[in-house]
Amino acid sequence: MRRPAPSTTALLALAVASTVLGSLGVASATDARDEAKPGKNDIKNVIYLLGDGMGRTHVTAARERYYGADGELVMESLPAVGQVSTYAVQPGSGQPGAADFAPNYVTDSASAATAWSSGVKTYNAALGVDAKGKVVPTIMEYAKKAGLRTGNVSTAEITDATPAGQMSHALLRGCQGPTYSEAACQNTEITGSALPTTDVRVTPIADQIARNGTADVILGGGLSRFDAADEAALKKQGYAVLGSPASQAVATRSDLAAASGRKVFGLFNKGNLTIEKYKRENAASVQAQEPSVAEMTKKAIQLLSTGNKKGFYLQVEGALIDKRSHANDAAQTLEEMKAFDEAVRVARDFAKKDGHTLVIVTADHECAGFNIIEQGSYTNAEAATPPGNVDSGNTANNSTPTRGSGAKDPVRSSGIINGAGSADPKNFAPATFRTPDDPASVTDGSPDASLWLSYLSGNHTGADVPVFAYGPGSSRLADSIDNTDLFGIVGRALHLTS
Amino acid sequence: MTTKIRVTLVGAVLAAAVAVTWLAVGWSRSDDPAAAAALPDPATVARTDLPGLAPATGEPRLPGLAEAAPRPGTVGVVPGPFDDRFTLGRLQLQNGAVSGRLHVTSDVSDVLELQVLAGFYDARGELLGTGRATYHLDEAAAHAEHEGTPSELESFRVVAPSRYAGRVASAAVGVPVLVNE
Repeated sequence: MRRPAPSTTALLALAVASTVLGSLGVASATDARDEAKPGKNDIKNVIYLLGDGMGRTHVTAARERYYGADGELVMESLPAVGQVSTYAVQPGSGQPGAADFAPNYVTDSASAATAWSSGVKTYNAALGVDAKGKVVPTIMEYAKKAGLRTGNVSTAEITDATPAGQMSHALLRGCQGPTYSEAACQNTEITGSALPTTDVRVTPIADQIARNGTADVILGGGLSRFDAADEAALKKQGYAVLGSPASQAVATRSDLAAASGRKVFGLFNKGNLTIEKYKRENAASVQAQEPSVAEMTKKAIQLLSTGNKKGFYLQVEGALIDKRSHANDAAQTLEEMKAFDEAVRVARDFAKKDGHTLVIVTADHECAGFNIIEQGSYTNAEAATPPGNVDSGNTANNSTPTRGSGAKDPVRSSGIINGAGSADPKNFAPATFRTPDDPASVTDGSPDASLWLSYLSGNHTGADVPVFAYGPGSSRLADSIDNTDLFGIVGRALHLTS
Repeated sequence: MTTKIRVTLVGAVLAAAVAVTWLAVGWSRSDDPAAAAALPDPATVARTDLPGLAPATGEPRLPGLAEAAPRPGTVGVVPGPFDDRFTLGRLQLQNGAVSGRLHVTSDVSDVLELQVLAGFYDARGELLGTGRATYHLDEAAAHAEHEGTPSELESFRVVAPSRYAGRVASAAVGVPVLVNE
């Protein structure tokens, strides 16, 4: 018996149904990855959290310190995980792929901030300009232009590289203010001759922040960079100014709690904010009145989201991770990591409730070659005779030895160096910390503590850094990316860039 | 099934498909030409106008230098914006030059910018003139300086302008520029 041929209508309906179901399948897979509410994948807000100097080991060490080997930081609970390359370029360099491209493998915070803020590689010390000195717009400026609300939170001076990378354009990041100086602001290697002081690129960063209105909510440190004229300029734009740049009265946690309105400017220390360890150990001090990065983040989100239908872009920096890593101070570094992770918790909790918020957690660079070493072991720098490759006859290990016997190799290093205390092995750490995995009797600093930490240097390294993400679109971060890619990812998520 | 019913059915299914597909990929709406047309123009995005800002006319000044009038043979200190970030030591005036050491106490990281501004005074305490010691870390060429831990201690020496030679009886110093990494 001949089966009847399916009608054209039925075939068309089948094809269309298949397309529909296929689309639903794609959507539902994306939803599962991104943990977004079904059918509500549109991104309204981006919260970009940056642990300055936070390498992969900083994350691992903080996890083990506070939650044990089997625990996890909040940032580690975010579903999308990737890694970010961070290199900078030399002054005058072209962008990657150009004939005059000249990389610099170790970035500073300014070049890194420009990479994710503006999507270009630039030289160390440059903010909001490319490596040839051309002004490049930032993602926060794009957001502002598009009518989104914007916020910038940092535990550093708000004129420091990471926050400044979003709301200023400067040839040199040292041009922070309150006043101009030629050495701090001009970069004739890039411009050939000194620029007129009317040029934004040599205008102190504090003067720019106080007048360009790029961020609606500005919370952090660095009151010394601002003066009475800046306060007048801020008020003229409608900012509620907490404390007073004119009188150099710092804002307090109470001021922050009471703050309201669309535009808020609050600086809680004349310099960088105080480390958490000091505040914890000196609860009655003036510094203990400074809000934590989590408190500032919570308030910023509240200010930016209230009555806001268009969405917002908020950048949050845990700056003191880097600054304490420069000092090779593991105890304070770990507490700053914990404090930063609490800010991540605030952002994630908001995003979970909101459903339209992409949370990105990453770093600008690794700082100090932080590492976890085996209990009872030590680093090469501590060793009287660092291990050398002297077994070149072995086919499993036959590269040319680069280091002979003895502690020093004049070609590759000057041997044991660590400033004035180079002769004292104790200066190299390791610092030891107890963890929840240790018996109660084990104390910090004892050989029995299970977390042994050491540093390679007092400066930045060129290691890739982790990125964690949550929310719609977060799967785009589950990849190996470059720091300049973050500009495009955020820009497209907020429909700001093509 | 009549032709009219078939057309209606296909139309309904197509409409549903379009609607569901739009919902499914809705978050990438920047691919939509209409949305792309609404993107901010990059040429107009950067905020380079700073309304009401008077451009700098020279190097920083410290108002305290005008009234400092230190006693002959001494070196005074005048207020600046960063006085809570450093200590000054070994201040001395010798042969028309003031020198000393500045120890950054607020941070342990490289000093990027530092300017020590000095005022020179005659025996009556009248301000003769000023001089500056400026330190700038060239990050692009700072590899050699980046060995070891960052420097927190900077020495300075400011020589009085030659036209005041022989008249300098005292000095005062202050710090108008200080930036750490």
